[in-house]
Amino acid sequence: MLNEERVILMTKMASYEEHEGKENMKIGKYFRGDYIAVQVLKSILSATVAFALILGLYVLYDFEVFMQDLYKIDLVSFAKTILIYYGVTVVVYAAFSYGIYTYRYSKARKSLKLYHQNLKKLNSMYEEG
Amino acid sequence: MTALLELRDKLKLIYNKNEEFILPVIKFLVAFVVLSVVNGQMGYMTRIDSVAIVLVAALMCSFLPVGVITLFAGLFSLLHMYALSLEVAIVGLVVYLLLFLLFFRFGTKDGIVVVLTPLLCFMKIPYIMPVVMGLLGTPLSAASVGCGVVVFYLLQAVILNAPTIKTMSSADAMGKLRLVLDALLDNKAMLVMVIAFAITVIVVYIVRRMSIDYSWTIAMVAGVLLNMVILLIGDLIYETNISVVGAILGNVLALGVAKVVEFFRFCVDYSRTEKVQFEDDEYYYYVKAVPKMNVAAPTKTVKHINTQRRVAASQSRPASSQSRPTSAQGRSVTTERTRRDSAAKYDKSVSGRSVTIGSRQDESQEDYEELF
Repeated sequence: MLNEERVILMTKMASYEEHEGKENMKIGKYFRGDYIAVQVLKSILSATVAFALILGLYVLYDFEVFMQDLYKIDLVSFAKTILIYYGVTVVVYAAFSYGIYTYRYSKARKSLKLYHQNLKKLNSMYEEG
Repeated sequence: MTALLELRDKLKLIYNKNEEFILPVIKFLVAFVVLSVVNGQMGYMTRIDSVAIVLVAALMCSFLPVGVITLFAGLFSLLHMYALSLEVAIVGLVVYLLLFLLFFRFGTKDGIVVVLTPLLCFMKIPYIMPVVMGLLGTPLSAASVGCGVVVFYLLQAVILNAPTIKTMSSADAMGKLRLVLDALLDNKAMLVMVIAFAITVIVVYIVRRMSIDYSWTIAMVAGVLLNMVILLIGDLIYETNISVVGAILGNVLALGVAKVVEFFRFCVDYSRTEKVQFEDDEYYYYVKAVPKMNVAAPTKTVKHINTQRRVAASQSRPASSQSRPTSAQGRSVTTERTRRDSAAKYDKSVSGRSVTIGSRQDESQEDYEELF
């Protein structure tokens, strides 16, 4: 026999799984530290690529002048300046993404907790019926 | 008001019934308008500057996810830039990549904003975007709106310099690159717009989440005023030549649009028809769940102002109606609180000597929104 209450609960859960639950379940597979570490690493990679793009455009912008000056300037100090800029960009961006992903993880966990409670409820419904 | 509420419910019902058709049509129209505007404004590559291609692309967008519109718009603009000059396309690609790498990583949900903001900028009404996104989105929408403004000024830089670029020889590659980059980076108007819009989005978001009465209205008014103030200050400092009259009119329009959004906000995504499939040991379930029309139960205060001779009649009411009779100068005033089940049943007629003072409680559907 069809149990109406069970069907309603299952429908709600299936709809959760299909929409907002999808992303949360992906997040829920990780431990907190692992999830945040992976995301921050990805952010560092993005920031590195972005920095390289900006640097490339900067060099290209004044390419002739840059090539002429290349032999005159102190390459070590030039590299140092660039590295400092790179470091600051990456650290700021990584810190920002750390904050965001920590928040997202705790939110996903909270939402999944409710889902697991519903799973237990459903299980008990099946045991009763 | 009652008529408006009824209209809203009717629209909601129509949307719920025909969601499968309405959504693709909306996506198609948005994609068609966006791609047509890109072609109309740029149009350097004649091969893609035809209605047939735009129609095909828009049709594809209609059944693919919303993000594809963003992808197509970016692709079309890059192709036009490429037709103009390879160097311009490189600048365009680098800017798009930077926006994608730095900002899209966090807020992929409102990618369409990055397309709609430049579209509204071309229509000279971009002020709608920050207020509406503050109301509907998250603080991260500030990044999306900011990206949209940057995209607009990039396209603008290309469009304004296109005649010069066309006359330049192909050997002057660096010159072309410098021209576009200078136009983009020296643009103080862009800076002012990005800052103004980002602050507006965040302020509107913060105010509308406050637990105060009329938080939505206060949020939109505060957002519009703040937006104007920042734009004017920016104009004074950097002489950005932002049209003051345009900004004021645009912000008034933004207020109107925000009010409409507030009125329809529950249509946006709270209730939708769900079709889900699942199974247990005994059955396969194919469930179509149609949301009930959750119109708020309005509370009405009915005030009966009766003459002395009707006091006896009003006192003989059943005690359960929670009446509070008070007499003043030979008249009795009875206040009742009644609850109605549906807004559609609003009592419009005021009969006899009883006065109906309607007060509709705002729908207090809780906002379970994400912060990021």
